[in-house]
Parts: sequence; C-alpha cells; structure tokens
Amino acid sequence: MTEEQPVSLNRKDLTGAFIRLFFIQTVWNFERYLSYGVAFVMLPILKKIYSTQEDRAQALSRHLEYFNTHPYMASFILGAIIRMEEEKQQLPKAQQKQKEEEISALKVGMMGPVAAMGDNLFWATVRPYCGLLAATLVLSSAFQVKGQYWVIPLLFLVVYNVGHVGIRLTGFIQGYRKSDQVVLTLRKYGFQEAIRGLKFASIVLLGVLIVFVNLSELEKEMGLFVLKLTFFTAIVGLFTFVLRRKISPSQLFYAVVLFALMLAFWPDISAMPKDNHFISSKPAAAAGFMADKKPIKGKL
Amino acid sequence: MPHWFFISILLAFLSLDVTAVGQFMVSRPIVVGPLVGWFLGHPNIGLEMGALIEMIWIGDLPVGAHLPMDLMMLSGVSVAFACELVGSQFPPEAVMTYALGVTIPLAALSTEINIFVNKFNVRWVHLAQRMALGGHFKTFAWINWFVVVELFIKGFLVTAASLILIHFTSGLFYLFGTILNGRVMEGLYYAHWLLLALGCSAIIDLLIEKKNIFFLVLSIVAIMSLAIFDQMQGVYLVSIALCAGFAIALFFMGKGEKND
Repeated sequence: MTEEQPVSLNRKDLTGAFIRLFFIQTVWNFERYLSYGVAFVMLPILKKIYSTQEDRAQALSRHLEYFNTHPYMASFILGAIIRMEEEKQQLPKAQQKQKEEEISALKVGMMGPVAAMGDNLFWATVRPYCGLLAATLVLSSAFQVKGQYWVIPLLFLVVYNVGHVGIRLTGFIQGYRKSDQVVLTLRKYGFQEAIRGLKFASIVLLGVLIVFVNLSELEKEMGLFVLKLTFFTAIVGLFTFVLRRKISPSQLFYAVVLFALMLAFWPDISAMPKDNHFISSKPAAAAGFMADKKPIKGKL
Repeated sequence: MPHWFFISILLAFLSLDVTAVGQFMVSRPIVVGPLVGWFLGHPNIGLEMGALIEMIWIGDLPVGAHLPMDLMMLSGVSVAFACELVGSQFPPEAVMTYALGVTIPLAALSTEINIFVNKFNVRWVHLAQRMALGGHFKTFAWINWFVVVELFIKGFLVTAASLILIHFTSGLFYLFGTILNGRVMEGLYYAHWLLLALGCSAIIDLLIEKKNIFFLVLSIVAIMSLAIFDQMQGVYLVSIALCAGFAIALFFMGKGEKND
C-alpha cells in the first residue's frame, strides 16, 4: 500500500470554494440548516485532497452534520475548515482522527457566536441602516424629479454589498490563513464598535427622515410645519411604544388603516368638502403625482 | 393584470436571492419596488412603496429558525397592483395603502409556503447523505441546482397566483371609491401618512436604544432648524446628516474602545 502524497490547494480551488459560498443557504432546512451548503462548498476541495472514493465519501458525510450560522460570517468558519482538512490530509493516519474531531469542534464551537455577531451586524444594523438611507433619499424626492429612479436602489445595493462581499472575502481568506486560530482574529475587526457607531449614525439620518415626511408643509406655512412635525413625532413615539410591546408590524398596519378610516368617517373631524378633492376628475393628475414634485426648496 | 407572466418571471428570479443564491439584497423592497414599478411605467410608485415596506418591516429579521414575512412577494405584487390602479381618479397615496392592505395576507401565505418548502428540503438533505455515502458526487452536487429550480418554480407559481387573485379585488377598490362618496379614499389617504410614522417607529424600535431617544429628539430639532432657517434641504441635508452621523459614530466608537 502506497502512502498518500500531500496535496496543496491552489488559488483556483479556493476561488471555486469562495464562489460556492454564495449557495450556502440553497438547501436551508429545519433539520440541519446549512449542512448541505457546507458540504457543497467542501465538495471540490475534498475531491482534490482525498485520493480514494471512500475517504471522500467519509469526509463529505462528516460535513453533512448539523450546522447553523449566519450565511455571510460562515466564510470565517469555512475558510478555517478548508485549511484544517488540508492539514489533516498531510498528517500521519494515526493523528487524522484527532484532526477530524478538531474540525467538528471548531464548527460547533464557532457557529453560535459567529451567528450572533452576523445577525447583529448585518440583519439588525447594516441592512436597516442602508434601508434607512434609501428611504430618506426617497422621501427627499431628490432623484425622482430628475427621473433618476435607479440611483437609490443602486446606491442601496452598492453600499450594502461592499460590506457584505468584503466581509465574506476577508473572512474566507483570514479563515484559510489562520486555520483554527481564526476565532482570535474576529475581535480585531471591531464588529461591536461598528454596530455601536452605525446605530449612532442612524439617529441623525432618522431625524432627517422624520423632517422630510412633513417638509411639504414648510412651503405653505412655517407654523403649520412645526405643528405637523410635532404631532408626527408624537405619533411615532406612540407607535414605538406599541411596537416594543411585541405587536407585529402587519397587525399594526391594519390597526392604523382602521383608525384612519374611522377618522375619515367621523363627522366632526372629517374635513371632507362637498366637492370631493380626494376624487380627482383627471386620472392623469393622480397618476403623475410625483412627476410634478419639485426638488425640496429647489436646491438641486 | 397585464404583464403578469413577465412580472412573475422577474419576481421568481429575484426570489432566489432571499435565501438560495447570494443574498445580495436584490430581493429587498427598496430594489424590487422600483424595478416592478419601472417595468410597469410607474417607477415613482414603486420607489415610494418600496421605501414604505422597507421601513415598516425593517425589524422582521431572519434570526435563528424564524422566517420573516415574504417582503419580496409583498413589494412585487403590491407595486404591480398599485400600478394597475394608479391611473384611476383616486389619490396615489390611497391606492398604495389599498394595494398593500390586500397583499399582506397573500405575503403571509407565501411565508407559510416558504416554511413548507424548508421542511421539504429535509428530504433533499437525506438524499444528499445517501449520495455522499454511496460516492455519487455528481448527483450530490446536482441536488443544489434541483433546489434552485424548485425555488424558482415555487416563486413563479406563488407570484403568478397572487397577481391573478389580487386582480379580482380591483373592483372592490372602485366600489369603495364611488359608493361611499370618497370617505374610504380619504381614510386610506390619511393612513398613508400614519404608515410613514409606523415605518419611523419600526426603525427606532430596531436601531435606537431607549437611552439614546434624547439624541433623536435633538437631531430632529437640529434638522428642523436647518430646514427652516438655512434653507438647507434635499440631498444636501442627507449628505450633512451622513457626515455628522459618521463623525458621531467615530467619536462613540473611539469612546467604546477606551472603555473596553
């Protein structure tokens, strides 16, 4: 029986694995979550590292065990386990079993903390911040008036994906370089500081958004603008209080619509004129409501 | 519903981004809304609705095993429906609120279908396990592409069915608009403004801690003053807010490091 020749992975192998990382959630399921995704990423790597069909099958089955983490941050773990598989194959047979256990322990040990970090960073901070930026630009009507509707979605995608793809790539490279020591490098990226910073940055942007919602009144009368803004802020406060009582946005949506309908039917409050201005005689006027919108204060 | 076939194809492609391929966020309402709106000749409606949906459901996160509301379907179908209705004599704000209101139950149903698909995917993993143990690596890899096709077909069927179903509720909209002397339209018009407030609340709920509410009020007053006295508005105001936000962020990030 001949001894297996050690195999090293090249840039092409790693690039292929990195591209496959974008499919990590395809077969997401309630039993083993990302397990198939991990095995799918590992497949070409394992095919190259192991020479016999039996070893490949055994290694692939190992990676089909339960695995659940954040899809972007999984790159740190995947990079590390690719390196560890490579190292394992270069060890004598007697030590390979221990390396297998180390790989499994790394996956189990890291998936929870990395998932919490990814959820907090991307789902709860970066994506909402990008969404807030896009919504603020929509309400500023800055690009719509010029017919540049594509600018805002494009800006959202560029800002978000610079961070997303950047973290995936960095995580994969660092994971591969640091192997099982990758966990020690996670802290130096300052994810917690970034989360805290972005949350502070969103305060100012949200202030702009709240002012923009009511800005049309400023062109009519300043007092009315301040009054409407104060009233709007109070309503926002009330809704925030309700949302923190764990009521879903969909339920609140219908409650708001119902309340608004009641308001419209209330005889004393309704300011419905006899000639109903809510039913326009010109359909085109209603359809092109934003085409006629001026840029706010005409500064653009 | 005109163009229902092409919209369904487009939304089925975009639906792959939700979990299956990439997660580049092309399936977010702020992207899907304007895209469908542009396709149907009303990018402004798509943009406004996309922003509104993005804001209201911003806190519905895919954490752990929780599957959030199918916002891709909600934004795509509601924008398509709003584009169909917006040529009528009713205000666009009322149209947008109505379109959203009738699409939410369908989006909730689509979420349930997604949960079913994720349960069904367990069978694919079991098959993959058998293929791996048997050394059938090509079949193992093909499972990934089978599931991509499965998800595409699911996305197409759900969207097409929703678009056709929702088309039949347009009669109800005209009925509300005419027989009740516009009162319903007035209510829906007010609701749009209140929904923007709900969107702002959802952002506060997710991003702003209780102890920082004072800074938010301070920020509103500062921006309001800039808007009134300096006539500094539009995209310039957003730029100033971004710079100020990042300056504050850097300050607090540094403070955090020292504290650590």
